[in-house]
Amino acid sequence: MTATSSDRGQLRPGLWATVNERYPGSMITKRDLVPLARLAKPLAESRLTFVSTAGVQPKGTLPFDVAHPVGDYSFRRVPSTATPADLEIHQLKYPTAGANRDLNVIFPIERLRELAAEGTIGGLTPSFFSFIGYNMDPERLERTLAEEIAAAVAADGAEAALLAPA
Amino acid sequence: MQRAIERRGIPTVSVTVARDVTEHAKPPRAVFVPFMMGHHFGVPFHRELQRRIVREALGRLAEAEQSGEIRDIPVTWAQARREGIAIERGMGLRDERRPE
Repeated sequence: MTATSSDRGQLRPGLWATVNERYPGSMITKRDLVPLARLAKPLAESRLTFVSTAGVQPKGTLPFDVAHPVGDYSFRRVPSTATPADLEIHQLKYPTAGANRDLNVIFPIERLRELAAEGTIGGLTPSFFSFIGYNMDPERLERTLAEEIAAAVAADGAEAALLAPA
Repeated sequence: MQRAIERRGIPTVSVTVARDVTEHAKPPRAVFVPFMMGHHFGVPFHRELQRRIVREALGRLAEAEQSGEIRDIPVTWAQARREGIAIERGMGLRDERRPE
């Protein structure tokens, strides 16, 4: 797979095409754009949430089903007060060499707490939200999990959201 | 996912290491870093780099004017790795007898 202008600098070029070739229809493709929502207040006064596909979850919660052929469409709440020692990762689709030594490389929970304590961010929602990126049915994902997380994010009082699709 | 949250009136921004996947998914705002999968915020123990990626992403919440725009953050994986190795040396976490 050769690099295209659209993935310049990407360490693994042609990712979309590679996955879509092997699993047609598994990749999200949108034609339209969603209108931008606006911050109602400056970031320093806004409550932020974090949404991750990294399979990070509190120890003791039901592990994500990493072996299911079409994926796991459930999510876990991760308390924004959790420490890395409270958390573990269940997923098979990205290298965890860095995360195993410092979770912040994929789930920057300590950096977000620091930025909130320093006043760069107004505050954090009680929960962050986590699921696994291995989901082979994008329509199901959009119909179920995306709406469930969006509703939970809103109910948690989020005024802005940072996402890290692993 | 990101689009569903934005539709509820909550501004969103994502950090991606796969620019092509993000171009297909068309989230409202994104920043791209040319890092290894699973290492969106850099390398272990490199707090300043991790903070920088978070801050640059969050900066887009107020600055972005056009939905779908992907902003490149001017960093390289090689530089992040070099800095990470130096930080680990300083912390005594790296065995100097072993090759990198």
